[in-house]
Order: sequence, then structure tokens, then C-alpha cells
Amino acid sequence: MHLEIQTAPRSGTTQRVALFGRLDTHSYPQLDAELAPVLDGGDPPVMSLVLDLAGLNYISSAGIRSIFKARKALTARNGKLLVVNPQPQIQKVFDVVKAVPMSDIFTSVAEADAYLDMVQRKVVSGDEDE
Amino acid sequence: MDIRLSVPAERERLDDLTVAIAAVMERHAIAQPVIDDVVLIAEEVVCNAADYGFDAGQEREIVVAIRAAEAALHLQFRDNGRPFDPLAQPAPDLDADIDERPVGGLGVHLVRQLARRVDYVRDGAYNVLDVTLDLTPSETGDAP
Repeated sequence: MHLEIQTAPRSGTTQRVALFGRLDTHSYPQLDAELAPVLDGGDPPVMSLVLDLAGLNYISSAGIRSIFKARKALTARNGKLLVVNPQPQIQKVFDVVKAVPMSDIFTSVAEADAYLDMVQRKVVSGDEDE
Repeated sequence: MDIRLSVPAERERLDDLTVAIAAVMERHAIAQPVIDDVVLIAEEVVCNAADYGFDAGQEREIVVAIRAAEAALHLQFRDNGRPFDPLAQPAPDLDADIDERPVGGLGVHLVRQLARRVDYVRDGAYNVLDVTLDLTPSETGDAP
């Protein structure tokens, strides 16, 4: 088995994508292709990308580069990339290359959703025009 | 455990190598985290060699030897590409802002961090990379 990607229906400006299997030098183009329309924006553009890694068993530097690219595209428009439930091998590689700040890694989808809700409320309450 | 695997140094053949490495290590009851590290190191080293190490048209071969001894696992990668010392590449600046960092150089950094030590020598027509990993007793299937 290699990489399987499940893109959930979009919820507001949040997009959840679940990865299963292996994200490596063979499979990273598949993730890049799947994320391209998400990162291109849409109207309104996706501001929060939640990568659910509970089913991902293995990542190499090629996979890390794909996640970096996605993160860069999102932060360029003040968006966020959150990572949920990385398995031990994934967490170890993330730690070694400091791929994702600890504050953007969550242990469950519910926890990430709660965080995004909180951020969203802050944005709405801080913007009188909306 | 003392094994030797030989494959063409091509990205397309990497799976043949990593699947074989994982199978042999599983048979020797090596712990899964160690197998993950070895497979990752093999992927990073072979990809670098395949990308930078060969002239067009050159026959590409990489030989991987794996040997478990006492509290260590020794990996040796030997390829017939042009001289290429992966350890001479500059280390990535991991403390720079994540969004400003270049995305290259991570593979070699991972290998260095996962290994206890890494040594490169040019041996005649071959690049030889020796990688030593720590192996705790609970990780070696050969332990009594």
C-alpha cells in the first residue's frame, strides 16, 4: 500500500485532508496534486488546512517538503496548517527537522476544531464590518 | 544478521530495496522503530545518490550492507557514481523562521540525526557511506 488521501467536504474556510499509508519520494506528487486546488484558494480561499495523520505510517524528507510547501502557501495569506495525530515515526521526523511548530500539532481532530473555532471567534469579534 | 542487497540506484527501484530491507529486519525481529529509521535512511541516501551521483548513461548500482553487532546496527551504502560526499552539504538552518526556510537539505540532516555516526569515504571508483545506529537490547531479535 502506498498513499491514500481523503479530502473531506469543505467546511467554511476550513479544509480537512486525511492521509493514510506512506508519504515519501514516490507518493508526494500525489499529495501536491491533491492540495493544489486547496492552496490555490477558491472564493473565499481556504484559510485553515487540517492534515489528519492518524493513518499515516511513514514520512520521509520528500513528504516533509510537500507539507512545507503547503504551509508556506497558507501562511502567505495568513492562513494556518494544522497537523492532527501524528504517529511516532512521523512525530520523530517532525521533531528532527522542526517541520511544524509544536503549537500547530494536535492530538485529535476535535482539539484542532476547537482551536480553529476559538481563532474564528476572535477574528469575527475583532472585525466590526462583518 | 549480516545481509547485502544490491539494486540499481534509481528512484523507481527504491521500493524494491526498502521492502527487502524491512522484510529481512522483521525476520530478525528488529523493533519497528529501528526498521522505520533504517528504511528512512535508505530512502534519503539512495535518492541523493540517484539525483546527484551519476553521469547520464552510466550504469548505476548501489549495494547496501546491514550488519547487527552488539549494541549497534551498521549500514553501508556503496555506489559507483561520481564522487559525492553528502556530509559536505551545508546543514539546513532549522532555527530560521519555518516559513522562510529553504526546503532542501533535510534528507541528509535526518540521516545524521537518526544515526549515532555517519562517515563518508571515496574508495577508488566508489562512494562509501557508513551509518551506525544504536540498538538497545530490546530492539535486537538476536538478544538472548
